[in-house]
Amino acid sequence: MMLPFLIVIPLFGAFSMPIVSLLGRKAREAWAVIVSLATLGVAGAVFYDIWSTKKVLVYTLGAKSPLGQGVDFPIRIVWEVDLLGAIMILIVTFVAFMAILYSIGYMKHDTGLEKYYTLILILELGMLGIVMTGDLFNFYVFLEIMSIASYALVAFRTDTWEGIEAGIKYMFVGSIASSFILLAIALLYGQYGTLTMSYLAAKMAENPTVVGKVALSLFIAGLLFKSGASPVHMWLADAHPAAPSPISAMLSGLVIKAGGTYALARILFSIYGTSVGMKTVGWVIIVFACITLIVGNAMAVIQTDIKRLLAYSSVGQIGYILLGIGIGLAAYGTNAGEIALAGAIYHTVNHALMKALLFLVAGAVIHELGTRNLNELSGIAKTMPKTTFAFLIGAAAIIGMPPLNGFASKWLIYESSAIFNPVLGAIAIIGTAFCTAAYVRVLYTFFGKPSERVMEAKDPEGSMLLPMIILVLAIIVMGLFPWQISEKIMIPAVDMLKDQVHYITAVIPNFIGGA
Amino acid sequence: MRRSLAFLSLLFILGVLLYVANPDYGLKFGLGGDDWKNMRYTDDYYITHGVNETGGTNIVTDIVFDYRGYDTLGEATVLFTAIAGAVALMRPWRGDEDEE
Repeated sequence: MMLPFLIVIPLFGAFSMPIVSLLGRKAREAWAVIVSLATLGVAGAVFYDIWSTKKVLVYTLGAKSPLGQGVDFPIRIVWEVDLLGAIMILIVTFVAFMAILYSIGYMKHDTGLEKYYTLILILELGMLGIVMTGDLFNFYVFLEIMSIASYALVAFRTDTWEGIEAGIKYMFVGSIASSFILLAIALLYGQYGTLTMSYLAAKMAENPTVVGKVALSLFIAGLLFKSGASPVHMWLADAHPAAPSPISAMLSGLVIKAGGTYALARILFSIYGTSVGMKTVGWVIIVFACITLIVGNAMAVIQTDIKRLLAYSSVGQIGYILLGIGIGLAAYGTNAGEIALAGAIYHTVNHALMKALLFLVAGAVIHELGTRNLNELSGIAKTMPKTTFAFLIGAAAIIGMPPLNGFASKWLIYESSAIFNPVLGAIAIIGTAFCTAAYVRVLYTFFGKPSERVMEAKDPEGSMLLPMIILVLAIIVMGLFPWQISEKIMIPAVDMLKDQVHYITAVIPNFIGGA
Repeated sequence: MRRSLAFLSLLFILGVLLYVANPDYGLKFGLGGDDWKNMRYTDDYYITHGVNETGGTNIVTDIVFDYRGYDTLGEATVLFTAIAGAVALMRPWRGDEDEE
């Protein structure tokens, strides 16, 4: 059983970082890389285990069985990892490893690096805790760990005014969102008397109440904040540009998905599932998804700051993922719903890779030139060819060009939305048109006439280039086998996510399906 | 306009929460007898079996350090993160350290 090491290794790494960093700068960089690489290894083993057996992995902390003696309800904290959780675990550890590797070169001129590496490992730990847990209060605890680490990391460059401003904004908005979620958990505990997700789902199926519905609306509100959906995306557009680039890559690639869309999917499908009107909830999500799609992508077109453009584009892509989840709920049980969910999960993975790559490239450009203004960056292709090539691949993938990975996931979402409701399909296409305009504009600048400022620039050093190369390779290789990946990984993940009875019986064996 | 909209939605949320807090429609308070057994079964289990299973006589510490010890570990991590974050943000600015 490898599962506990996913928490043990990053926790040990983070808590021992202050001691290891006494040995000097090289030691702490090496330690952070070793710890995140070991976590990635364990994540690979866990993913392979779950993928090959297709079983929901349940682990009880402190006992052999989650159930108490002589009773049939769980009394301890459980971890419950299905294939969706395993996919998230793998992508979180992979992108976190890339970001830490990149930090060695990128954060060279910064101070306070022992705290930086401690916080980045805790950020990874928090996301792993969220995707592994099967306990509602435990979910909240790890959501807070993740959020607090990201507030501190957004404001890490304290000598810039925007870092502090974005950090304060993010912290106020994020704390309110977290308290919504805590209030929802308190209401559910008051009504049903349990905190275990699967047992709560069983109780809810027996006795749906108005308290459960109020809690659901609070959950949706809080988690839409955390995922940066419109109209509550304003913190994201400030926080992502202000953070150091490896942190923006993690925030944009992972945090808004682990703490936002993943948690939303888990709560909607595994806890609430069939005990609420799925059609209504689905349409609520779809409405927010459509607003997010249009607003995010349209705002990306008019930006002059490269990282702000990428941040708004993240908002737009979250719209696609939410659209997939929303259609998956509204068309539950039909073929279109299944395709939409598969597209949403696939796009989560793809967007984590592409946006991490794009933010790392933006970081390399800022590192070399010291400016984020697009108008001053013209002609970078001449002096930074490798970096520009990486950006070209990332931009083509995010638009959804056929040989790259973004194509398949977006196609699944277009196809299902067109089957479900042609209007939604049209909205999704309009969003992509805006997205294309934004990225083509950046590429025009990059390939334009070299400005004076660009002439002395050169490609960044190896430790910054290596993560970009790995991500480019990942995008191209995933782009070569789109339908195999969707058939072998994403569709089984959807089947496991939709199978609420199985999720419940994995913890409570003698639950007789009432759902 | 936005301010009054925000105020109205706060009022709406308050109304919904008051509705939910009404024992006739939503949450019950001061549970006793059958209600206690039906709705607070986990708490009942901790009180009945806690001393036997964990060996501590204080139920709260039994729960916080044994049954739900992982949450306590998480809370300790939250504190550690908060301290690391606060120390990281209070460090001297880059320019100020060049004097050494």
